[in-house]
Amino acid sequence: MLLAAFKGASLPGRKTPITKSLLAMRLTGILLLASCLHLSANTRAQQINLSEKHVPLNKVFKKITDQTGYLFVYRDEWMKQTHDISISVHNAGLKEVLDICFKDQPFTYAIIDKMVVLKDTVLPTLAVIGDGQPADGIRGRVADSLGSPLAGASIRIKGTTKGTQADIHGDFVMKNLPQGTVLVVSYTGFISREFTVTEKNTGYFYMALKRSPDELDATVIQAYGTTSRRFNVGSISTVDAATIEKQPVTNVMLALQGQIPGLAVTSTSGVPGNTVLLQVRGQNTIMANNPPYGLRPYDQPLIIIDGVPFAPQNNNLSQYGNLGSDPSIDGGISQFGGVSPFASINPADVESITVLRDADATSIYGTQGSNGVILITTKKGRPGKTVFGLTATTGFNSAARPVKVLNTQQYLQVRKQAFAQDSITPGLIPYSAGYAPDLLVFDQDKYTNWGKTIYGKTTNNTDIHASVSGGSTNNTFILSGGYTRSNFNYPGDFSDQRLTLHSMLHHSSIDNRLTMDFGVDVGYDQNHSAGYAGNKDILLPPNMPDLKNPDGSLVWTYKGVDVSNYQFYAYLMQPDNLQNYNINNTLHLGYKIISGLSIGVTAGYNRNTTNETTKIPAASVNPVYVYRSAQFGQNNYQTLNIEPQIDYNVTIGKGTLSALIGGSYKKNTNYQQTLEGTGYSNDLFLGSIEGASQVMASDQTTLYKYDAGFARLKYIYNQEFIVSLGGRRDGSSNFGPGRQFGSFGSVGAGWIFTQEKPVKKALPFLSYGKIYGSYGTSGSDGIAPYSFQPFYKPNNYIPAVQGIQPNVPQNLYNPDYGWATKRSLNIALDLGFFHDRILFNTTFYRDREGGQLGGYPQPIQTGFGQVLQNLPSSVQNQGWEFALTSTNIQGRDFTWKTNFNIAFNRNKLLGFPNLASSPYAQLYQIGKPTSIVFGYKYEGVNPATGEFQYLTAKGQLTSSPTYGLVADGGDQVPIADREVKYAGGFGNTFTYKRLSLYVFFQFSSQTAPNWMSTLYGSYTPGNANINMPAAVFGKYWTGPGDTHATLQRLVTSYSSQYARSASSFGLSSGAYSDDTYARLKTLSLSWSLPEKLLKGAHIHDLRIYCNAQNLLTFTNYKVADPETFNDYTTFPVQRIVAFGLNCNF
Amino acid sequence: MKKIFFQQYIVPAALLMTAGMAGSCKKLIEIPPSPPTEIVQSQQFADSSTTMTAVALVYSYVSLQTSNGFGYNDAKLPEATGLSSDELIYTSTNIPDMTAFTGYGLTNRNSVVAQLWANQYSSLYPINAIIEGVNGSTGLSAGFKKQITAEMQVVRALYYFNGVNLFGGVPLSLTTDYNVTNKLARASVDSVYGQILTDLTSAKQNLSVDYPSSGHIRPNQLVATALLSRVYLYRQQWQQAYDAANTVISSGSYSLTSDPNATFLDGSTEAIWQLPATSSYYVTEEGYDFSPNYGAAPNYLINSWLLNAFEPGDIRMQDWLGQMVVNGNTLYYPHKYKNIQASSPTTEDYMILRLAEQYLIRAEASAELGNGAAALADVNIVRARAGLPASTADPASQTAVLNAIMHERQVELFTEWGHRWYDLKRTNQAGTVLGAEKTGWTADAALYPVPVAQLQNDVNLKQNPGY
Repeated sequence: MLLAAFKGASLPGRKTPITKSLLAMRLTGILLLASCLHLSANTRAQQINLSEKHVPLNKVFKKITDQTGYLFVYRDEWMKQTHDISISVHNAGLKEVLDICFKDQPFTYAIIDKMVVLKDTVLPTLAVIGDGQPADGIRGRVADSLGSPLAGASIRIKGTTKGTQADIHGDFVMKNLPQGTVLVVSYTGFISREFTVTEKNTGYFYMALKRSPDELDATVIQAYGTTSRRFNVGSISTVDAATIEKQPVTNVMLALQGQIPGLAVTSTSGVPGNTVLLQVRGQNTIMANNPPYGLRPYDQPLIIIDGVPFAPQNNNLSQYGNLGSDPSIDGGISQFGGVSPFASINPADVESITVLRDADATSIYGTQGSNGVILITTKKGRPGKTVFGLTATTGFNSAARPVKVLNTQQYLQVRKQAFAQDSITPGLIPYSAGYAPDLLVFDQDKYTNWGKTIYGKTTNNTDIHASVSGGSTNNTFILSGGYTRSNFNYPGDFSDQRLTLHSMLHHSSIDNRLTMDFGVDVGYDQNHSAGYAGNKDILLPPNMPDLKNPDGSLVWTYKGVDVSNYQFYAYLMQPDNLQNYNINNTLHLGYKIISGLSIGVTAGYNRNTTNETTKIPAASVNPVYVYRSAQFGQNNYQTLNIEPQIDYNVTIGKGTLSALIGGSYKKNTNYQQTLEGTGYSNDLFLGSIEGASQVMASDQTTLYKYDAGFARLKYIYNQEFIVSLGGRRDGSSNFGPGRQFGSFGSVGAGWIFTQEKPVKKALPFLSYGKIYGSYGTSGSDGIAPYSFQPFYKPNNYIPAVQGIQPNVPQNLYNPDYGWATKRSLNIALDLGFFHDRILFNTTFYRDREGGQLGGYPQPIQTGFGQVLQNLPSSVQNQGWEFALTSTNIQGRDFTWKTNFNIAFNRNKLLGFPNLASSPYAQLYQIGKPTSIVFGYKYEGVNPATGEFQYLTAKGQLTSSPTYGLVADGGDQVPIADREVKYAGGFGNTFTYKRLSLYVFFQFSSQTAPNWMSTLYGSYTPGNANINMPAAVFGKYWTGPGDTHATLQRLVTSYSSQYARSASSFGLSSGAYSDDTYARLKTLSLSWSLPEKLLKGAHIHDLRIYCNAQNLLTFTNYKVADPETFNDYTTFPVQRIVAFGLNCNF
Repeated sequence: MKKIFFQQYIVPAALLMTAGMAGSCKKLIEIPPSPPTEIVQSQQFADSSTTMTAVALVYSYVSLQTSNGFGYNDAKLPEATGLSSDELIYTSTNIPDMTAFTGYGLTNRNSVVAQLWANQYSSLYPINAIIEGVNGSTGLSAGFKKQITAEMQVVRALYYFNGVNLFGGVPLSLTTDYNVTNKLARASVDSVYGQILTDLTSAKQNLSVDYPSSGHIRPNQLVATALLSRVYLYRQQWQQAYDAANTVISSGSYSLTSDPNATFLDGSTEAIWQLPATSSYYVTEEGYDFSPNYGAAPNYLINSWLLNAFEPGDIRMQDWLGQMVVNGNTLYYPHKYKNIQASSPTTEDYMILRLAEQYLIRAEASAELGNGAAALADVNIVRARAGLPASTADPASQTAVLNAIMHERQVELFTEWGHRWYDLKRTNQAGTVLGAEKTGWTADAALYPVPVAQLQNDVNLKQNPGY
């Protein structure tokens, strides 16, 4: 590469070989270039006279050489890229002339001694600047090809262990170097280079290292710093911008789906801007709520953006009901959807996302890091020419797997049959068993496909992102703006719109001791959604009369039948409008005290504010009840974060030691407010709280402070052995006096056994092998602040009593709870084959969380259902992760790369003293997954009676099983667990010349509630004027002897025995099915236009592409979407096909 | 210059800052004692005006499950006991667990029973907290502490009175310390009544003669006395019951409303204890629950046994029963509380104790004490207001007099706080009356089951027989 650069070099004007010193440098593979003209080029007044018109550049060079003696160094083929110039100067200086020559050329130049060296507009790779050196040694700087200093780079004398390390600015000094000493300069992630000390080059020099193509050496972002895969001993995975930009997702977290082993990413629904659930290596905590109420918890990782904890984390921003707020997803555990805080973060501004999974990687984050950490790093400017980038995408959305429901004819047939089998005459008394306006009043021939009406359309999305970046070595910048509009695949004008502005500045002082990075991200998201539950209306009777009058007003009664319960269009008139503002400021200051020792501070402030308005206009309510209301919600999360740290890097013996000591201070505040106004006189006032005659308000403030001191020591011996130690002491305001502090730590070690000569010899195909592991503890204080005291709170929703607003006691008082602790073990093996063209990783881990903080159920005679305490439970997650990356074909024009990962997690309740007599007896079993489900064993349909049958505890068939565990006299036994058995991703990238194709499949397997669990969840097929999936048709029992039926006899009455046997179905094993799917998650095809086409347009590169998401799904899961299982009325996951172009100029 | 500046100030400062973290850790994580939206227990009882905000909760009655105001807000005590006895029929399917009351098919998982059990205790907690809070406070006068404690004792007695009649012996939760209360076993019926009597007698002594505030919301002496009369009646302490009821009646503070339609209004002349019922959506739970909505048939219909108990000409039948004609059939539903929406022209309050009951208590005590004539005189006062002639029962026949009283209680106090259900049980008539009227009656049905979740959360709790 660099050597190649020299091969064709010629010196115009002279046919003689290049000078000796140059030759020497050529041999060492170094191209001499000057970086800072102002430092080196002492251009004495050269008197140059030229008068040329439209001549090639090399002709001008020759004339200058003739007049000045200065030589020009360049490669012949470079001249093809230059354009002819016209020049007319008289007694001009060399620099003046050269500036004219190089104006608008694709090259710049540097003057070294008596040479003019042409260089590509990228930065120089090595320059020796010949003044101010110590006579007996050299001073220099090591940087990457973009000019960023490589702090900690190693500079060793070849063949010895002597050497030094570059400081945080990449600078180093070495003395007492005899002539001819060969130095080896190396840095993880970069190709090592050698450098010979000669008379000429003693002094200050600048060396750029080239990034290693070896993935092992790619930079890996870790807690408070970077490492490389080669020397890392923690469990760290990264997804880079290239992978993110291929996916037409608006929520950046969705771009992680299937990409990282052990990270579960689950959409809650297809609503634009909807919450995406995240989980690293399984559920560590058990349910804390009183069993009959509330949802099971779902542990989510800590999210940090550019060093600042993301203030809202992954909490739902919406306080009111909207289309996405169904408790629709059941990621093993039901969770509410809502609006994602990531809606205000533009994936195009993200440089990389790193997921830390084990104790070595996460323990340094201490509290909240115990469920894993996700580090988001935004894009930074690069030195060089100012680059303008523009990306424009237009996408089309449609429901990925729409649910097919019965048509009128089928529906009426089912309904009539149900009445016949129940021997009930259809009637018209509302809420009575025989209520059947669909059979008696509605048009028997009318057909509306509600599924199609609601989700049938294809919507259009837009995404535009523009950026400008560049700068010099000491100052770089990036500024980018984006606009995204995602429309709802739903009737009405609903959308999620985002505006973002990203900026990042870097500065280093001239002496390079001080570095400063400052970034500001501003995001604005507007989620305009319809009222809650409208998505359920795909199940409206298909012969429903028109619900809108010709004039657009809503129909409330049809031929005397009250149809207000079916009024789908009312939801469309009850908007939920959410606006989210996100500001993230980050600052990093670094200062080098002496070589190897630097101090720095990272500080940041994140503020995330949400304003939400819902309206219920009178026009959307049955006019019998004149009712209007509006709700105004505010949600304000803030995080202030200050982290001072001291870094020390030193070479000790044959190894390098890096030490980090730091502190952390964090303050989180959250303010939530809701105002509900009623008694409006007019729909037009609904946007204002002042128009309400009655206002109810509630608000809540939480404050959390956290501080910590931490240290990390890492020693890499002889590039072979790695030891890493981390420790920290955490303090949290969430705990009562005497309980605030906890200590945690981790130890990691690794051995690169391929460094051993015998191994190298015995296994020549093995280019890299490392075995490593870690063990550590981390603490959790994830509870509501202030819970260690008894509180009273006013409640505005309780009417005042004689003018006194009541105060309500909030909690039981327990001052005694403290830190929960998780212990993690991680053992892994990394292998590289055939010069690391194949990289393989396998990891075994075991996490155990004990003393989990949660509300422990209390008998209500205590006054409350629970008290916060450390639960006695201990939960284990243990599993294997495998990852493979392979470059299958690496040709001149064609390359084929594959990556594959799969993870197997096994969760179990390890211990729970006195579980059987605890409130959790119904929910958990020791040794079984925490997602265990108790229910009846399902035994199909009784062919004689048409009822569902179940097994009793005694093994007999029954259609009316007894509720409760066997121990309590019931018939419920463990029937399933909801653990993901395995999940992963499989991707292939093909490039042929300028064409690139990326095909990525994501897969997952688990047991999940099936469509029948929804079918029998709140009603049964046949009753309640509700339609059902087409899959019902022909599956239900029709009469005695029907042995093929998979669904029981139809039923209309709630009180019949058939209704009871049907209602037991949802609690039986029949309601659970295998849910295994592989989804063509991403298909991305792109083509870069040839440069010659672009040249005239001053465009550097232009790429056009087509990205598709969720194109195909292969699954055994029926009716609903395998990803958002559990309820087939959930807003469907979207299939997106996006076309776009990306250009830089 | 720059270098010196850094080395002299910034570096040591940063070093100190990092090293000093450990020392100043505690300071850094100090937070104010409470967030702006909440106050701690000691602040809550610092003075009388904040104390009253805690007290106000005890008298608030809202339809929100999450708040612990007056305990029967969502618990549907009148509905459930009306179905268990012979007052109501449940026609709706909205609350499947409601149907189980009628045919005595309750299970330990019945959600309505779970709320009846739970709501009393969520409401008892603030009461215990107030008693502890005011007595532990240094900023309150002795008189105020005495007054508030006595008020709380009256309310606490009412909860335990309902608890013991619905479930039998219940755990006696008298403190906020969950380490004590979470292990409680069920107290015996006698101990529960013992606690009720202790609270009420103490309250009676300490309460003022006048209501402490406007209206009849916060108890005075007569409220404690009126509740005492009921408790003595249930305990068959006839003389004490007579005396207590007599004290209330002869105080002259109350009189029966001449118009039954005015009985349940705010400021009703016969109200001894009334709680305000004002929320933004509807007024009383009963008004909302019993009145037909959305053109549907009423959810609760008056049972034929109750309907047939009304004598011809009884004004209460027109005033306190609503009617709706569906398919040619007249359906009757409870209509003592008439307001459905907050915008109703009249203001209704929850009637906890009223004078008519005191007449009937004094009547029953008189009858038990052998004074049939005095008993009938009291019954006739209640009958007169209903536009009915004097009772024809023979004053000399104690049975006849008691039957007349029982009948009058049935038609006067129907769907109010479980009177009919309790009356049938305390007079040992439940088996004969309900066993004859309905199917499914068993002796065990007289007590509701302890919710299974509570048994799981406290191993010392034992279930009632039959569940």
